Amino acid sequence: MSDWSQAKRPIPVPDQWTQPFWDSAKREALKLQRCQDCGHFQHPPYPTCVNCMSIDMKFEPVGGAGHIYAYTIMYHDGDKRFAGAIPYASIIVELDDAPGALMAGNLLDAPYTEAKVGRRVEMIFERLNDDITLPQFRLADTDPTE
Amino acid sequence: MWENRCKVAISGVGYSTVSRSADIPLAAHALEAVKGAVADSGLEMSDIDGLSTYPELPATGHAEVDGISVVSVNCMMAMLKLPNLTWHIQVGTANIGGAVQQATNALLAGVCKYVVVWRAMHNPKGTYQNLPGAHAHGAAQFTAPFGFGGPGQGMAVAYTRWLERHNQDREKMATLAVTQRRHTQHNPHAYFHGTPLTKEDYLASRMVAYPFCLFDCDIPVQGAVAVVMTLADRAEDLKPKPAYLAGYGQRLHFETAGRIGSLSSYMEGGSSSSQLTWERSGFSPKDVDVAQIYDGFSASVIYGLESYGFCGEGEALDFIQDGRMELDGELPLNTFGGSLGTGRIHGLWHIIEGALQASGRAGSRQVKNANVSFVGASAPIVTGTTFIFVGDPY
Repeated sequence: MSDWSQAKRPIPVPDQWTQPFWDSAKREALKLQRCQDCGHFQHPPYPTCVNCMSIDMKFEPVGGAGHIYAYTIMYHDGDKRFAGAIPYASIIVELDDAPGALMAGNLLDAPYTEAKVGRRVEMIFERLNDDITLPQFRLADTDPTE
Repeated sequence: MWENRCKVAISGVGYSTVSRSADIPLAAHALEAVKGAVADSGLEMSDIDGLSTYPELPATGHAEVDGISVVSVNCMMAMLKLPNLTWHIQVGTANIGGAVQQATNALLAGVCKYVVVWRAMHNPKGTYQNLPGAHAHGAAQFTAPFGFGGPGQGMAVAYTRWLERHNQDREKMATLAVTQRRHTQHNPHAYFHGTPLTKEDYLASRMVAYPFCLFDCDIPVQGAVAVVMTLADRAEDLKPKPAYLAGYGQRLHFETAGRIGSLSSYMEGGSSSSQLTWERSGFSPKDVDVAQIYDGFSASVIYGLESYGFCGEGEALDFIQDGRMELDGELPLNTFGGSLGTGRIHGLWHIIEGALQASGRAGSRQVKNANVSFVGASAPIVTGTTFIFVGDPY
């Protein structure tokens, strides 16, 4: 297991356009950016819809179920903020509700060796401070892909 | 086919010394490389009337100081004091391949006659990706809090996806690292010239960002390389045999900031760029005699081989086995050692080798009867430029 207590995670600094994402994470009911014209979800947020050129973007609720789209296990201690946590799994998750939107996170509550492409995960929330809560992931109880 | 195929050529090439740390300022490396390229062409410095580069420092958290950690066009102008200068540019996208392509366009437009293109790379003291910040701004607000600190991890996530979706084995990459290191022994300018690498070394090396071990990553160095470009008819009057540019392409897709891990983005970037190069040159992958494919991280070669059309998706690690990438193989690959052999100088060295192989000037690593010489000068989705050089204009 990675010792996340040793990680000094940099605190996200929301801007006007990303604030709704962080507000929803703080309420532990995540919203992702969605095009109001074509329905395309995208993450990270972008100024316009990269699917249909619409500028009508809003943040809408998504469920926390998804799968590991890709991952890496970090062994290098170059990023001193995370040196105390190596080795650790940084993962990319695609949520069932938002195909194509790719969320970065960590695989928590499991050995880093459990990270595999396609494995089912569910969203959990990690509070960093009064303003910022990170959406994170753990292995889902049931794994319908197996 | 492109009406301008074989109308522009690479003539001379030049190198600085390549070292791990800066014992002279980077501008001195760049000057050494540029002087070398001009001399290789048999030109005088006063003949040079065009300058083109991509000066970015890919390390983060270090100051960009002109002449010390980057070498801009302004810096080169100050050093060379060219009496006949008529054109210059430094590009913002497409890395050094874009600088070569802009030089091509300027030559075809007739606004200059002899352009030098250089790439100078600094290795800062301390950690290359220096990330001390307590906060994450911009696109990093969605990646840095989870330990995605540098480009290596961004490349690594796509590589796990590639490996596991295609049921492949990362140990097969040893063939790439070991074969390229063997090619490096024919390149006296390369950082790892004189340092062999075995399969056992590769398999035993420390993990950096799984699936990348140490030998999947190019080593940061201080150094520069340069080329002289001119129109084909002028190049034919110069000392070296010209390498004619048959076609080029740029990637036509890009990833939105902070979105990482998508293999399809690599495929779209590489295929869009190479499609332009295949169409403009009239060649296809089966016509290629020798290939240089950017290898800042080893997996870039995999994405390149597949997205450019040399093999199918999921096949690249098998494709490079069985001697296929050797100097006498079916597709001699990264014959100068690649960035894994030379050190991190970005893609201009790949372009140089593509030109040298096309013009028969690659010395003891020359591929026999090479004519059609392909270059993928950077990672397919990152800056994604591709080129074909030939020795026989058509």
